Amino acid sequence: MSEHKCNCENPLVPGIVEVIDIKDETPDVKSFFVRGIGGGVPFDVMPGQLGMVSLLPVGEGMYSVSWQEEQEYLHFAIKRVGLMTNEMHRIEVGQQLGVRGPYGNGFPVEECKGKDMLFIAGGIGLAPLRSFIKYCFKHRQDYGKIQIIYGSRSYADLCFKDELFEEWPQEKDTEVYITIDNPEEGWDGHVGFVPAYLEEINPAAEGKIAVVCGPPVMIKFVLESLEKMGYTDEQVISTLEMRMKCGIGKCGRCNVGSEYICLDGPVFTLAQLKQLPPEW
Amino acid sequence: MQILSKSKLEEALNQLGKNAELFVPLARGEESGFYPWSSYQAGSDRLMLDALNVLLPPKSVVFPQTERMYSFTSTGPAVEIKETFESPQPRIIFGLRACDAAAIACFDDVFLTMGFIDSFYQARRDNTTIVAHACYEPGANCFCEAMGVDPTEPVNADVIIRDAGEVYIWESKSSKGEKLTAALGSLLENKEAAAPGLKPFQQQANYEGVAEKLKGMFEDPIWEQLAATCQTCGICTYVCPSCYCFDIQVKSWGEEGYRFRCYDSCMYSEYTQMAGGHNPRGNERERFRNRFLHKLQFFSERYGKPLCTGCGRCIVACPAGINIVEIINNIKEADTSVRA
Ligand SMILES: Cc1cc2nc3c(=O)[nH]c(=O)nc-3n(C[C@H](O)[C@H](O)[C@H](O)COP(=O)(O)OP(=O)(O)OC[C@H]3O[C@@H](n4cnc5c(N)ncnc54)[C@H](O)[C@@H]3O)c2cc1C
Ligand code: SF4
Ligand code: SF4
Ligand code: FES
Repeated sequence: MSEHKCNCENPLVPGIVEVIDIKDETPDVKSFFVRGIGGGVPFDVMPGQLGMVSLLPVGEGMYSVSWQEEQEYLHFAIKRVGLMTNEMHRIEVGQQLGVRGPYGNGFPVEECKGKDMLFIAGGIGLAPLRSFIKYCFKHRQDYGKIQIIYGSRSYADLCFKDELFEEWPQEKDTEVYITIDNPEEGWDGHVGFVPAYLEEINPAAEGKIAVVCGPPVMIKFVLESLEKMGYTDEQVISTLEMRMKCGIGKCGRCNVGSEYICLDGPVFTLAQLKQLPPEW
Repeated sequence: MQILSKSKLEEALNQLGKNAELFVPLARGEESGFYPWSSYQAGSDRLMLDALNVLLPPKSVVFPQTERMYSFTSTGPAVEIKETFESPQPRIIFGLRACDAAAIACFDDVFLTMGFIDSFYQARRDNTTIVAHACYEPGANCFCEAMGVDPTEPVNADVIIRDAGEVYIWESKSSKGEKLTAALGSLLENKEAAAPGLKPFQQQANYEGVAEKLKGMFEDPIWEQLAATCQTCGICTYVCPSCYCFDIQVKSWGEEGYRFRCYDSCMYSEYTQMAGGHNPRGNERERFRNRFLHKLQFFSERYGKPLCTGCGRCIVACPAGINIVEIINNIKEADTSVRA
């Protein structure tokens, strides 16, 4: 081993970015668009990869990069659930943040080429899926039919409404199905939980990859429905969430079995998930 | 062959301590562990080169209990991050045993391989020279051999010393070791001496096939029984030379602050506590199981060796009398065929 000098490429030290725009998505989800000081993105990400966002001095949290717009910005969609996310919801445009990454394996965008894509999400679970959905639209010729099934508690709780209602349904060979848990005034769309709606739509398994992300109960029932509908374990992809600190497979806490979710995940096929101890 | 006469040991330690921070096993009051030789108080401290083992391992030399990562200022919306970490002075760990040297090899696997290199660890590790002390008479709680560690041939050593009665046989194993040999100069003599043979182990752990067998035992009722008395106090993780889990925290005052990392323990429920109340290892049995599976199965799957080097410290330290040798043997002997 060689004489070591302080390393500025230290993976645990964040770079600094500036918030260039903030958008309310739902009563408890906000979108944050961040860019390096003086322009550019802090790092390039593939769909499904993660960034560790630091609001100093409050805390650090792991978030899916919901989209990288070229070298313009990274987009995070953050739900208010605790200490740091509360403070995040109070910041204003111009706030500087620390961010390090990219972490995690990301979605298997190459392996899915040529397939029909079925995206199933609940609540904030659309944030990670969105990067893959938008990637498919950007490389439209590489993917077949695209179906998106998305649900949340109420209309107000649906994230990315412009895209859901306006933009995505306009894309070639694309169907967007939206549902909310309970009926409400002014809503004439589907009402009911995502797994039931999925069975109603009943998208044929052949030639398809299903990508699922949402709260644990939703994932559980969706996986059961997909199995009933004839999807094999290799055709189903999901993401896992564990508490994270380092993001680089060192601090120990995000393991499920011998896999570290921050490094080997968060994306797994159902076949891989079934190899893991049932701790997820 | 080179030898260091025991009568010249203190002189040798003084010599080595001139160009490096030198850590040696000492008993100090109620405690024992690796302390700087420069802090040695003749009369109250005792040099513990023969102990198997001192209570605290030398892991803090390469992986301190708390470590500042960087400092920052946050002034209104502006944030500045300053990298404050400086490579430490050269260090020497003198007299650690094969189990502790092997545990540092586990750290090397964790911090220096698998995609990311941990720069803080690397800087300390690069500047650390290891003088390992071969064992020939296993202690009351030692079971390193069962965990694949050869007590007479410590891995990761830059120098191996072997107790041959009146003298230590001095064997340099690397260029870092050569530097120490050169520094000792005429304190080392050229003489023949013979190391003794290895005496039998008192603890018999039968780890063979256990990693493989555990794959089918995640939901085995044995965990309920094994974990019954564990208080999840975390002492076992603190004294363990190979436990490395850490937390990252912030300390701030006004507009300034720093981020640091510190030892954490998988035995604590906050370790995996998530927002909204979900905790994948919320109960004690689940945490206990994860600790032992990490040591005996998961680490083997990932890095090809267990994360226990058989030092026996947790056996001594556990207030509930939990004994990893018994756990290994219980798993080995468990009849899982009857529990579908
Ligand atoms: C792979 C992955 C992707 C994620 N993507 C998103 C996303 O795109 N949008 C989003 O809103 N949230 C996402 N999360 C969840 C998000 O990290 C936590 O909800 C958030 O960190 C909670 O922070 P808090 O400080 O407000 O909560 P507190 O309850 O105050 O948290 C205390 C501590 O626990 C940690 N923590 C709490 N909950 C979680 C959790 N679920 N996962 C990991 N660490 C947690 C926090 O980082 C913090 O250190 C993701 C989590 C993971 C693991
Ligand atoms: S020292 Fe003993 S009681 Fe404490 S956490 Fe470890 S095994 Fe459990
Ligand atoms: S688990 Fe116990 S015996 Fe094994 S290395 Fe750690 S402290 Fe030593
Ligand atoms: S977050 Fe530290 S190991 Fe995954």
